[in-house]
Amino acid sequence: MTGALRRITLVFLLLGGWEAFARLGPIGTLVSGPGAIATHIVDNAALLGRATIETSVNAAWGFVWGNLAAMVLAAVIMLVPRSERALSALALLVFCVPLIASGPILRVLFGPGQGPQITLAALAVYYTTLLALLVGLRAVSQNWTDLMRVYGRGALSTLVRVRARASLPYLFVGLQISAPAALLGAMIGEFTGAERGLGVLTLRAMRGLDTDGTWTLALIAAMVAMGAYVLTGKLGEWLVGYKPVILLSAPKVSAAKTVWARLAEAAFIAALILTLWQVSMDAFDLNRFFAKRPGDVWMFLVNPQNRDTLLSALFETLSFALPGYLAGLALGAALAAALVLWPPLSRATMPVAVALRAVPIITTAPLLVLAFGRGLVGTMVVVAVMIFFPTFVACHQGLRQTPGQTVELFKSYGAGRWQLLRAAQIPAMLPAFFASARMAVPAALLAVTTVEWLATGKGIGVLMAMTASTSNYSMLWSCVAAVAVVAVAFYTLVATLERAVLRIYASEQVT
Amino acid sequence: MVSVNIHCDEISKSFGATEAVAPFSITLAAGQTTALVGPSGCGKSTLLRMIAGLEVPDEGTILLGTEVPRTVARRGGLAMAFQDPSLLPWRSVRANIALGAELARKPAGDIDALIELVGLNGFAEHRPAELSGGMRQRAAIARSLVSSPDVLLLDEPFGAVDAMTRRRLNADLPPLWRTRGATVVLVTHSVQEAVLLSDRVLVLSPRPARLVADIPIDLSGARDSRLLDTPACLALTRSVFAALEEQA
Repeated sequence: MTGALRRITLVFLLLGGWEAFARLGPIGTLVSGPGAIATHIVDNAALLGRATIETSVNAAWGFVWGNLAAMVLAAVIMLVPRSERALSALALLVFCVPLIASGPILRVLFGPGQGPQITLAALAVYYTTLLALLVGLRAVSQNWTDLMRVYGRGALSTLVRVRARASLPYLFVGLQISAPAALLGAMIGEFTGAERGLGVLTLRAMRGLDTDGTWTLALIAAMVAMGAYVLTGKLGEWLVGYKPVILLSAPKVSAAKTVWARLAEAAFIAALILTLWQVSMDAFDLNRFFAKRPGDVWMFLVNPQNRDTLLSALFETLSFALPGYLAGLALGAALAAALVLWPPLSRATMPVAVALRAVPIITTAPLLVLAFGRGLVGTMVVVAVMIFFPTFVACHQGLRQTPGQTVELFKSYGAGRWQLLRAAQIPAMLPAFFASARMAVPAALLAVTTVEWLATGKGIGVLMAMTASTSNYSMLWSCVAAVAVVAVAFYTLVATLERAVLRIYASEQVT
Repeated sequence: MVSVNIHCDEISKSFGATEAVAPFSITLAAGQTTALVGPSGCGKSTLLRMIAGLEVPDEGTILLGTEVPRTVARRGGLAMAFQDPSLLPWRSVRANIALGAELARKPAGDIDALIELVGLNGFAEHRPAELSGGMRQRAAIARSLVSSPDVLLLDEPFGAVDAMTRRRLNADLPPLWRTRGATVVLVTHSVQEAVLLSDRVLVLSPRPARLVADIPIDLSGARDSRLLDTPACLALTRSVFAALEEQA
């Protein structure tokens, strides 16, 4: 009872502080207090309600389709192990294309309606679920698979009877993280030109410099996302009971033996993607005016003027993304390390951080841009915040992976906390750190292009927005292809760096 | 169910540079229980896994009756119990036992009778996590019996249970497979267990596995732990030990 009372008092104190800051603080004009937000909600209750429902329904459909796709993909990989490398590469590539880039393309292909929002929501969720599911499907004891084989049962029977059930807890970890991501996908779909929904209202509020509206919408989006996160978590707990701790990151690609074999594999996957692109456009007989093929993009980029426009926008974007990316990673790792030095603080902050990791930060990007401006700092902050939470949570988990015996060895020599951290815990954290650094590449590109699209008016994000509205579809497709190439290149770069570092510090993890 | 003999003809198996089983031939009579003993890592589990069709010999052939192991497996004629009970944690004891029949595509028969035989009455609806190690192992053995296999393979099935439980399982379980007429191959570390449970003990050399001694176990009377103290049994145990020690 006193605990509940204390909590209620705390909530009121926080709300009071927030209100006071909004009214009296130096940047008060950029901050809406709870009072103003409440008034805004009451005044626009019907509109906000309809938009929330619209966005939630789109997100829910995307959640369903995206997760079904992940399950089918995982099942195919389990049944046809040979397909894994090509399928994983494809899945990763699609995941690397920022949603804000696929959004306009989908809008062009689907026309008006909910199609793009639902597809983007599906694209936002399938990869996390796929990763979690693959870990789960493989986390079965060899005796179980042997048992199936002793009775003459094959991969399909094993998948249905053993792997599927054993992977349920892992599936729910994936579902829980992907639930808020679905909302993010739906909102980005709405940014790229829908008629209704929270994304549309956010865009309108931002363009109209409506501070109260922006705050209200960010708050609603964050609450819906958190609600979805908590709800799927509870559902998982109720259905499967326990929650495995897993690092959600693309498995380290076991590189082929020789450089030539690696190049051949990369060339094969590139050819596969180009073929899929061409064939899918032709199969649906999509109009060449808006559905550009690889050849069209190539012809367009052969023109130096087009190329220069694209490249200068791309470099502008990267110059904003890179500092934010590095800052987010550094802050996440540093804070995780600091918390390990003070365990009580870690107990207090971790649950909050784990939950915040799930909030699609992009939905609050408008607020950050309001607060930090439309220039380099504002963009950097959004990118850094987007990356910070997943990195922080993963690094914290990684630090705790330090073998207990190692810790005890250090303690038996009377080593201090700092020494333990430097010599034992940070090396133990490195695999988790690099795993999040890889996953942060697409996240950073998504954050930077979204902010450019919404607010700053710079870089490739705004180039895509402009070309989408002026029907310069050749430029739009070229932008998307360029962003995808950049994402994959950076991802590969980080993965290479990872392999080099882990070879020294965690050689058992490098194959 | 048909009684089949197991015929290994010049089989060998290597893992990379490690030779696990040297060219090896043996015929195990239908309906008999054969124990494989030998030093740790000598390749006896590999031999068992080849008979189960889980590993394919590099050379040579294995026939169960007239069929290769995979064929027997596909018609549900094989069953195996592992050192670890390997029950599915989300299934009840009854459902775990029934899994054996399900996978073998055979009618489950009287599962309750089987549950009673392995002494798990009252626990049919419990989950594996609620059972002791010995009870789980008994459930796993019931699972291997429920499909009435032609060939039953036991890979150290009592390795992970405590001494008292092991003694009881040694006495209770063999009659179950004997009455069903299955051809049984048992891998064990315990010489007493090998003598007590089988009709024939094969002593294998250190890796790569070769046959060192082939000792028929000719014991009359009920096979329980009291038998261990009889002179006949002691003599057999001593001869198995002697064959093992010759290797060391």
